Amino acid sequence: MTSIDVQDLTKEYGTRRAVDHLTFRVEPGRVTGFLGPNGAGKSTTMRLVLGLDRPTSGTAMVGGRAYPTLNEPLRHVGALLDAQAAHGSRTGRDHLRVLAASNRIPNRRVDAVLEETGLASVARRRVKTYSLGMRQRLGIAAALLGDPEVVMLDEPSNGLDPEGIIWIRELLGRLAEEGRTVLVSSHLMNETASFADHLVVLGRGRLLADTPMRAFIHARVEPRVRIRTTDAAALETALSRYGHDAVQHEDGHWSVRHARVDDIGRMAAEAGVTLLELAPEEGTLEQAYLDLTAGEAEFTAQPQEA
Amino acid sequence: MTSPPVLHAEFLKIRTLRSLPGALLALFAGTTAFSALAGASGTSDPEFDPLFTALSGVLPGQIAAISFGAMAVSAEYHGGALRLSLAAVPQRGRWFVAKLTAIAVPTLFVGLATAFAALVVARAGLGSAASGLTVAEDVRGVVGCGIYVTLMALSAAGLTAVLRSGVATLSVLIPFILVVSFVIDDAAGTVADFLPDQAGQIVLHQTYEGTLGPWSGLMVTALWTVAAMLAGAWSVRRRDA
Repeated sequence: MTSIDVQDLTKEYGTRRAVDHLTFRVEPGRVTGFLGPNGAGKSTTMRLVLGLDRPTSGTAMVGGRAYPTLNEPLRHVGALLDAQAAHGSRTGRDHLRVLAASNRIPNRRVDAVLEETGLASVARRRVKTYSLGMRQRLGIAAALLGDPEVVMLDEPSNGLDPEGIIWIRELLGRLAEEGRTVLVSSHLMNETASFADHLVVLGRGRLLADTPMRAFIHARVEPRVRIRTTDAAALETALSRYGHDAVQHEDGHWSVRHARVDDIGRMAAEAGVTLLELAPEEGTLEQAYLDLTAGEAEFTAQPQEA
Repeated sequence: MTSPPVLHAEFLKIRTLRSLPGALLALFAGTTAFSALAGASGTSDPEFDPLFTALSGVLPGQIAAISFGAMAVSAEYHGGALRLSLAAVPQRGRWFVAKLTAIAVPTLFVGLATAFAALVVARAGLGSAASGLTVAEDVRGVVGCGIYVTLMALSAAGLTAVLRSGVATLSVLIPFILVVSFVIDDAAGTVADFLPDQAGQIVLHQTYEGTLGPWSGLMVTALWTVAAMLAGAWSVRRRDA
């Protein structure tokens, strides 16, 4: 069991505090989305976990150990920090061979991850001829090289085409299913909602939330029911009789707040109102996130630097 | 200090970047060509030193060695490459030793081959003018020249790790070697003898005067190199990647 444990982690660059007394744990077997606007401290936290930057105070552990004490760390932790890290004049395959050599990973793993990331056909081309999406795939290939229990990806879908975005979603799900610890940062809500099981939300270096994604949304966005009917007057009467708070929209559909589809369906049947549409309106991650950050007055008052 | 896998990776990095073996090829070709020219031109200079004339191609040629050392390190300071390297090898001291070894070994081999080739072609041009050179002097010149270019490449590598930029390193070292040393070249017997390039070049001469001899001169250059490498190691170990 390998988790990432961040304990009271703080990092200051000069007077700017990039990470501010951060404590959270990333558990194996699920995809944890690492959310926050640009400059919230997501990348800094990842660098601190990898021992690349030194914390001002606090600790970051992987499987109970500090990253720099790991022997052949690529076999334990795979990370994508920056798709531009591969030298443009090296071929994609050579880039991975170098990394593999440093951790005694056999070259057949190099070919396996090239295959897995769909780069096999361009493996012997120089990285400078790659598109941004291909570089991103190469960075992900490097993260998977050592078959690690912990995978950390910083904005992995940057530059990926729609097909690539579907691919990464499936990949993340599979990695979590295999029992790995998966931490994926993003500033895009819809994308995170599509792959994350759990959320760690940062704002200005501080922890804003650490909850399962469904719970995060349900706690912050009221569920609603969407209805369309042929008989607006009868519906309105029925709804007010049962004390439902409903709003009619311009295009003719109704939203009922704090209601469940089952209750509204039964009610409509009893009242003899014809329904054309009856559907739950799930809250989105975006709505929940905006609700969370709206509560952080200080957070919204000052814009973040990118 | 380092481990075979880390060293293997660093050697592989140098082999898989075309510009790096290219710089070593330039060291060989440039030095040999300039030495051949020097050997073929006149020997009217009263201070003519046959060994230094034969090996003089290394004065322009060393720029290739410096570029090699600088580029091998500066490749790590583009687009987060260093982060990837240090994520793979988080023991930074061990990583930097491997990097320097991967620079030193090929430079030394190419440097020795270069000095030997330069001496052969230049002596062919010099003919009887170089007949006073003993085998011991030839060997000293060739070995000393190989060590000298290696030290220059390592100095450039150390400085690049401090400045985190190959361009910055080259714009410090190349003017230093081309301008400063030529300007104060005549002021022999002064503190200028202890400059890294001047001290190390004594070994390239048949006859020498002053406080430093061939090997003590190389030692002085080596001390400069060690200082540059230690500064580089300090920078790699202390700073955030």
